[in-house]
Amino acid sequence: MQYVSLLYLLAFLPLVLLLYRLLPQRRRWRLLLAASYVFFFLMSKQLIFYLFFSAISIHGIGLWLDACDAAAARAEGEAAEAARLACAQKKKRILCYGVVLHIGLLVLLKYAPFFGQNLNALLLKLPLPVQLPELSLGVPVGISFFSLQAVSYISDVYHRRIRADDNLGRLALFLAFFPVVVEGPICRYSDTAQTLYEGKPLEYENVTFGIQRMVWGLFKKLVIADRLNILVEKIFTNYRDYSGIVVLLGAVCYTLQLYADFSGCIDLTIGTAEMFGVTVPENFRQPFFSRTASEFWRRWHITLGTWFKDYLFYPLSLTKHVKKIGREARKKLGRHLGQAAQVFLPLLAVWVCNGLWHGAGWNYLFFGLYYFILILLGNLWEPAAAGIAKFLHLNREGFLWRAMQTVKMAAIVVTGELFFRANGLRAGFSMFRSIFTGWSAAVLRNGALMKLGLDGYDFAAAAIGLVFVLAVDILHENGISVRRETAELSLPIRWSIYLAAILLVVIFGAYGTGYLPVDPLYAGF
Amino acid sequence: MEQLMKILEDINPDNDYATETALIDGGLLDSFAILELVSALEDAYGVEITATELVPKNFNSAQAMWDMIQRLQKN
Repeated sequence: MQYVSLLYLLAFLPLVLLLYRLLPQRRRWRLLLAASYVFFFLMSKQLIFYLFFSAISIHGIGLWLDACDAAAARAEGEAAEAARLACAQKKKRILCYGVVLHIGLLVLLKYAPFFGQNLNALLLKLPLPVQLPELSLGVPVGISFFSLQAVSYISDVYHRRIRADDNLGRLALFLAFFPVVVEGPICRYSDTAQTLYEGKPLEYENVTFGIQRMVWGLFKKLVIADRLNILVEKIFTNYRDYSGIVVLLGAVCYTLQLYADFSGCIDLTIGTAEMFGVTVPENFRQPFFSRTASEFWRRWHITLGTWFKDYLFYPLSLTKHVKKIGREARKKLGRHLGQAAQVFLPLLAVWVCNGLWHGAGWNYLFFGLYYFILILLGNLWEPAAAGIAKFLHLNREGFLWRAMQTVKMAAIVVTGELFFRANGLRAGFSMFRSIFTGWSAAVLRNGALMKLGLDGYDFAAAAIGLVFVLAVDILHENGISVRRETAELSLPIRWSIYLAAILLVVIFGAYGTGYLPVDPLYAGF
Repeated sequence: MEQLMKILEDINPDNDYATETALIDGGLLDSFAILELVSALEDAYGVEITATELVPKNFNSAQAMWDMIQRLQKN
């Protein structure tokens, strides 16, 4: 059962909403919990065990951490300092257990086959008659997301940003909330758990805003992403048959497909949560208006970026060893280069993890390192760029400069997504090379583009859909909320727009004969 | 406080530190700038700033940073 399936949209979700409305407020969170586990079971069957295990383990670890703090707080007099030190040591050990347990489980389930295959390939080259058995335990849907939520909860309790929750049900719901569990956004306990537990009444504004957001998500997913999928599949699967403009078109279309698919599914997620009055963080903020690679990652998959920043980049950058490296480097290299030396290793760790988080493959690792290099170089280059702009009296906030930077970022993002989507790193390089080696404008005239699985109608529908998305993104970038503006229109106009939006999805959605249903892309990561 | 203002100006002179109260929430200081700031504050005030302190409420304004420094100096 996917978020775009009729079963979810016309049966599961309405039934949960109806029961939620009928139940007294204090019991509603139990309904959301039961619905979330039913939803997860329908998708992952017996692998639901891992979700149970995660919930039970973070519940125990949280209480254990809290108990340490309580014991240290009870100590008085001369024993207080010793108790505080012992508590700090013990808490560190507990945090390590928790992180190793959850990240270890993620690595074991998701990456064991990848590491096993590569190790076996290495062993074949050595004169050793040893091969490791293939290990495949099954990967529950959403494990990449709920494992990170679990680690963030443990870490926040450790740092005393939140108190440990003694209610196992509430924690289990926080990890498994059905709109979020498949592909995020990655929620923080402090933002989301209480709103899940409150059982707020269904309010007109929440429900209508939620439905609007869901229709917008369906529009992006069904009209744009699933339509472009046909062309993308054809080019990336048969990449040896194509070159030049066609491969470039494939990479551009995949970038747009991924944006429409992922942000569309996030709209469905946030819209559903909004109906229940639950706070879920935004995951996109007009990413294609970014001017640098680091800004792009502050606007694209925001909750993953902030997770890595808060739970990996900052803690690693502030360890004693890394600080010492920074101090020495600043003395020898100056403030800016020294600072770059301090963040080098933590930043590398973040981008290796970011790449591998997306999947077990060399192309994902390459994708992570690609952004590591771009962000590091961008940071090193910044003072020089500012100096040159000042010397030449260039206005870096002017329209032309911003437009050039946006185009530069589009090229960077499309290149990254080409490697990200390619069937392996070798295929990625082959496709990248073929863009330059097989360039021919003839494909624009000889009808070759019409042999990629999409006809003129499909191209037009996707293009018009993208114009809508661009227009909405421009309005949002300028601080105009389309939903708020629409809500203030008179009732007949407002409802005409809503119905027109639903009809657009129904009429122009890429489903039925000639189209294949496409699972949310990020559910596979 | 004067020294703190100078440190902040050195790191990014484009912000109005006297009045700004959303340096982090508003995205005016990125993670690289925050770490540069942490190093400068540790050197200037002899405090140790750990990952626990790296939350927006400690860095959203010059006053919040000053309060954090004074709290860490007392500990």
